[in-house]
Amino acid sequence: MTSETSSSSLRPPLQASEVAIDDELPPLEIAIDRTFVIAAAIATRDYQDVHHDHEAAVKRGAPDIFLNILTTTGLVNRFVTDWAGPHARINKTAIRLGMPAHPGDTLTFTGTVTESADGVVTVSIDGTTARGSHASGSVTLSLSAVADSGDQR
Amino acid sequence: MSMLSGKTAIAGIGATEFSKDSGRSELQLAAESVLAALNDAGLTPADVDGLVTYTMEKNPETEVARALGMGNITYFGRVNFGGGAPGAVVLQAAMAVATGVADVVVCYRAFNERSGRRFGAGVQDRGTEPSAENAGYAWYTPHGIVTPAQWAAMTARRYMHDSGATTEALGAVAVAARRHAATNPKAWFYERPITLADHAESRWIAEPLRLLDCCQESDGGQALVIVSAERARDLPQKPAIIKAAAQGIAAPTAMMTAYYGDDIGHLEEMTLVADQLWADAQLSPADIPTAIIYDHFTPYVLMQLESFGFCGRGEAKDFVRDGNVELGGRLPINTHGGQLGEAYIHGMNGVAEGVRQIRGTAVNQVANVENTVVTGGAGVPTSGLILGADG
Amino acid sequence: MSQDEHPGLTREQLDPFAGKSCGPSRQSRDPIAPSDIRSWIDAIGDTNPIYVDDDASMATGRSSVIAPPAMLQVWSMAGLGGTSKSTTQDPRKELFALLDDAGFTSVVATNCEQEYLGDAVPGDWITTSEVIESVSDVKDTGLGRGHFITTVMSFTASPDPLGDGELIGRQRWRLFRFAPKNRGSGGQAGGDSDRPPRPRPAINRDNAFFFEGTLAGELRIQKCDSCGTLRHPPSPACGACQSFDWSTVAMSGRGTIHSFVVNHHPQVPAFDYPLVVALVDLEEGVRFVAEMPDTDREDVAIGLPVEVRYRKQEDDLVMPHFVLAEGSSQ
Ligand SMILES: [Zn+2]
Repeated sequence: MTSETSSSSLRPPLQASEVAIDDELPPLEIAIDRTFVIAAAIATRDYQDVHHDHEAAVKRGAPDIFLNILTTTGLVNRFVTDWAGPHARINKTAIRLGMPAHPGDTLTFTGTVTESADGVVTVSIDGTTARGSHASGSVTLSLSAVADSGDQR
Repeated sequence: MSMLSGKTAIAGIGATEFSKDSGRSELQLAAESVLAALNDAGLTPADVDGLVTYTMEKNPETEVARALGMGNITYFGRVNFGGGAPGAVVLQAAMAVATGVADVVVCYRAFNERSGRRFGAGVQDRGTEPSAENAGYAWYTPHGIVTPAQWAAMTARRYMHDSGATTEALGAVAVAARRHAATNPKAWFYERPITLADHAESRWIAEPLRLLDCCQESDGGQALVIVSAERARDLPQKPAIIKAAAQGIAAPTAMMTAYYGDDIGHLEEMTLVADQLWADAQLSPADIPTAIIYDHFTPYVLMQLESFGFCGRGEAKDFVRDGNVELGGRLPINTHGGQLGEAYIHGMNGVAEGVRQIRGTAVNQVANVENTVVTGGAGVPTSGLILGADG
Repeated sequence: MSQDEHPGLTREQLDPFAGKSCGPSRQSRDPIAPSDIRSWIDAIGDTNPIYVDDDASMATGRSSVIAPPAMLQVWSMAGLGGTSKSTTQDPRKELFALLDDAGFTSVVATNCEQEYLGDAVPGDWITTSEVIESVSDVKDTGLGRGHFITTVMSFTASPDPLGDGELIGRQRWRLFRFAPKNRGSGGQAGGDSDRPPRPRPAINRDNAFFFEGTLAGELRIQKCDSCGTLRHPPSPACGACQSFDWSTVAMSGRGTIHSFVVNHHPQVPAFDYPLVVALVDLEEGVRFVAEMPDTDREDVAIGLPVEVRYRKQEDDLVMPHFVLAEGSSQ
């Protein structure tokens, strides 16, 4: 695989001592457009018409095409690892689903550290648009990929 | 081109203060505003021989004439359909003057619309007497569609769906009106501007309309004096020449419930008015530096900008961005604050502002206004004017 | 009212489904390819180098690049025209049919939970199996009354398509299967007696046929005897051909929402607010306005299919309203 990031320039691991309860993650703002909704649906192999076919979406009662759930999960994980860095390992992502997100919406993720012990951190996350909550929930991660899971396949 | 173009002028304007509780009768408001308009024109009640008002007006011509001691009245007429009438009463007056039926015609509209019967309260108590007008309401009132905002919201939702206009585009119209009202001492919202955020946070009235998408309810009176252009030149004020005046009912037009045409977000009656105005005045949107666009509900301002060709179909949402309809923008609209910011006098106060822009005496004066457009209520059988400077 | 209509399924009916497998396990059609990962990170905008850069991934203590954990379910997706779900015996079908019959016809996904137990890497084959974990007792929510159904998918990964995989993760999905909320529309016969009735329509010679129709349970629209044009609102003559001869036809009552309003203010005592009122394109080609008193504002959108219902308002007056058609929920 081609090397695009030299390992020496890799962000150092986030240390447990740098994380405190109530710390806020840098918000992530996604301006959703049609290309994004469709590209993400296809990249997650979701060919349900409501995620790429405007007319079909309207026919089924939506104002427009909307994000599929696997994309939302992907964005949540990206939001957390953008903050925690490449060393971190996500153990669990749990989200409650709210209003659909459509082209033209701006989806903003915010997150707060709610637990931190022995290098395992839980972050509560909220993804909202002007329509209301799109997704909310929590992500649990280990700050170091090797320390915790023992999985080294 | 109509025979009327350039033959007549608005020579006087007069109004009461605009308030939420005038503390006096509607007839007194009518008499005060008519007298003020005559004073402005340098005329007296004895000079008046024509009176035109709205069918919704509750002050009879006889009572206004008696209150002010007018003599013989040889022309009187009324125009139906509420806020659609401001250009139409001027059209009737101009036709009467141009044909010699009358020489000095006063148009007036006065009401305690806030402290008395509020239009926004709804028509749920209209009654079931079997007239065609009441039967028309049978398709709406029993389902809870009883107010102008609710009638308008149905059309607005579809327009927004088709054009992609968002709450922000509606907000731009409200922000412009309130910015202009903020520097107009006669405006109810004098010194009270709003932001886009204020608009977006204001409470729902009838989705997709928020409180700040809806015009005010007001007490007040406004009158206009129409004479021949020739006579106007001898009177004290700089004449506002009536270069064009037009009315419109198109096939799908209804009183606020034009829900049955192919494209309900396209105001066919307003396009009909606009086409006549441009043709009669031999002008185009490029000749208009400022306009009075009837603003009962913000989405209808967007639709009218499209009807008049100030921007293309579906493009008003972009046209109103970045302060383009505020002072200093491409087309400042409703420089008095409009009905959102100054007062809701069924559009008659907008005609007066058009006159002031031509005279060069508006508090928010736009530079070099040779011509201006004034529109009547949208989403109803409607009317419009092009007023211009003499010569 | 909705409680009486939808008492919910009993534990006796529901318990047999818990723990049932949703058909045999399925293997991904291809092993994980780096290009699939690339498409995903491009779309999601994820710049984490551990998904594409071996050196960077090893520097974090991993053995190689790994597949993004959130792609867990992606590998088992059927793809365009996929048929993986319908070919086998799936107890969910039976469960959904049972719920349908009990009136719980709408469905919405409410929760998605992924647990990552190991890493998948390029070259791995992913095998998926799914079981019904639980079906809840009947619950009342903001959407209405219904049952939550939780299923769990398990994912194993193996570099050998025939080999035994290692468990790399689970995905727990929760659906709510429900009957949309009835918000107790007022002004009905037998409704609360303090409440004033809805405004009565003004009925005259031109529109009386319509209200005779609703008494008979029909949505009647005028039709020109001469040229066949349908017209609404009613009129004594045909605008298309000027004929004064007309009859009426009963509409199917089905249509789609052309526009709608949600009334908040002012509040007329006869109605519940927020009040949804829709302008509907009837399938026969005319438009018609009616309230949707049992529909939540969040559930309404332009284009949604609706169906007419009737409500006795006074002894001599029946009024139509619309409800969302079945299967129109997102
Ligand atoms: Zn016909």
